[in-house]
Amino acid sequence: MFFRTLRAEGMKLRHSPVWLAFFILPVLPAVMGTFNYLQNIGILKEQWYDLWSQHALFTSYFFLPSIIGVYCAYLCRLEHINHNWNTVMTAPVPVLHIYLSKLFAASVMVLLTQIWIGVMFVISGKLIGLHGQVPSELLAWLLYGGVGGIVICALQLCISLVIRSFAVPVGIALIGGVTGLAALAKGYGALYPYSLLSVGMRANRPQEPMQCSMEQFILVSSFYLIACIIFAAVWLKKRDVVTG
Amino acid sequence: MMKALAMEFYKTRRRRVWAIVAALIFVQLLWGIWAARNMDTRDLQQGWMFCLYQFPALNSIMMPVIAAVVASRLSDVEHKGQALKLLETVVSPGRLFGAKFLCGTLYMLAVVVLQLLVIVFMGYAKGFEGGVPFDKLLYYLLFTTAVNLTILLLQQVLSLLFVNQMVSFSVGLIGGLAGLFSMFLPQDLGRFLLWGYYGVLMLVRMDWDRDTRIVDYYYVPADWTGFIILAVMFCTIYMIGRTLFVRKEM
Repeated sequence: MFFRTLRAEGMKLRHSPVWLAFFILPVLPAVMGTFNYLQNIGILKEQWYDLWSQHALFTSYFFLPSIIGVYCAYLCRLEHINHNWNTVMTAPVPVLHIYLSKLFAASVMVLLTQIWIGVMFVISGKLIGLHGQVPSELLAWLLYGGVGGIVICALQLCISLVIRSFAVPVGIALIGGVTGLAALAKGYGALYPYSLLSVGMRANRPQEPMQCSMEQFILVSSFYLIACIIFAAVWLKKRDVVTG
Repeated sequence: MMKALAMEFYKTRRRRVWAIVAALIFVQLLWGIWAARNMDTRDLQQGWMFCLYQFPALNSIMMPVIAAVVASRLSDVEHKGQALKLLETVVSPGRLFGAKFLCGTLYMLAVVVLQLLVIVFMGYAKGFEGGVPFDKLLYYLLFTTAVNLTILLLQQVLSLLFVNQMVSFSVGLIGGLAGLFSMFLPQDLGRFLLWGYYGVLMLVRMDWDRDTRIVDYYYVPADWTGFIILAVMFCTIYMIGRTLFVRKEM
């Protein structure tokens, strides 16, 4: 049954150019960040690591959380309009599957974006002739960043389930990104869902270890993921839908 | 037009459009105040310039999203209710476009005025050296409002033309990211980018000495050429956007 709901999500997204936003977003820091790196090559001595900061800093703090917010709002939009919740809730599908299939769709998009960020990073570094090997930590930056991104997806999907507006969840995602930066600066980055993405990507100090241990990162991410899934299941089961 | 504007506010009654705008600007102001928490004597001497340097940078991160949220909230109500075709029979599309823009303008103007009040409050509370630089603050009001309204206009055009609000939000976010980056690149590059004008029209620049880690701010003359280019962009977007909306099948 779950695969059918997954297929349904796929059908809803088919021919929709929404992936373009995730495609373009990493291209900008790749071009402008690399240019900025070349401008400040006298100060930036850490080669690949400094280039990673240029590529990932602003994206992971503010813009990736916000664009995830946009995508999650889009995934819930079809249900919110045209009395469609009535159709969805009367379909012979466990309500949790509806949420999980949306979470899966959003997570795939986040992971593909992480791969794309990695590809752009390597291409940029090679094009400007950086010495040495691509940092072996790149995979970890992308993977942990992906996990942090999936946590944001889970949270934003819950917000978009509750709030019927398209714009409000996006605003909340930006607020989350900004407050996440504050949490990161205060050393609480590993506890706050919106900063897990930047903690994982280590954009600020890529050559240093993560702000928390790998176990703590996985534990906190799993906690938020499970909490969001339980919330969504309870919300969809207990609350009567609002349509219109 | 006043009636059409009143109807816009009537449509958004109890929809609390102001709430998310207020939340966003509140977070931005908190960020601004937090950044100024540990100012020494030297910082206080440059306090006004610090604010006039810092807030445009914060604006380039958050204002594009605030503009996108306002434009989308005002436009999406028509898409959701499939009301545009019916509305066309009572109000001309051109007037509706203008009324929506005016309505959004009031929100964006309120946001900048609030920012200015917080800057003045910070100046008095922290004891910035020298009197309030009213002329610079007026320029800040003019320039920030001009950039905000041009971005709001673009967002409104996209939000009205595309039922899928992801289009307008994606353009806003990608533009915002490009605008933020352009602040760190040569100034002339920012002129090619609407979102880069928060940086282009800044009244203060910064010198950072890497060895002593001392930051020096200094005033620069207002960039009227940049302002004129922005005004041309505004008129172009208004004319093209309004024409596209009027000719669109509702």
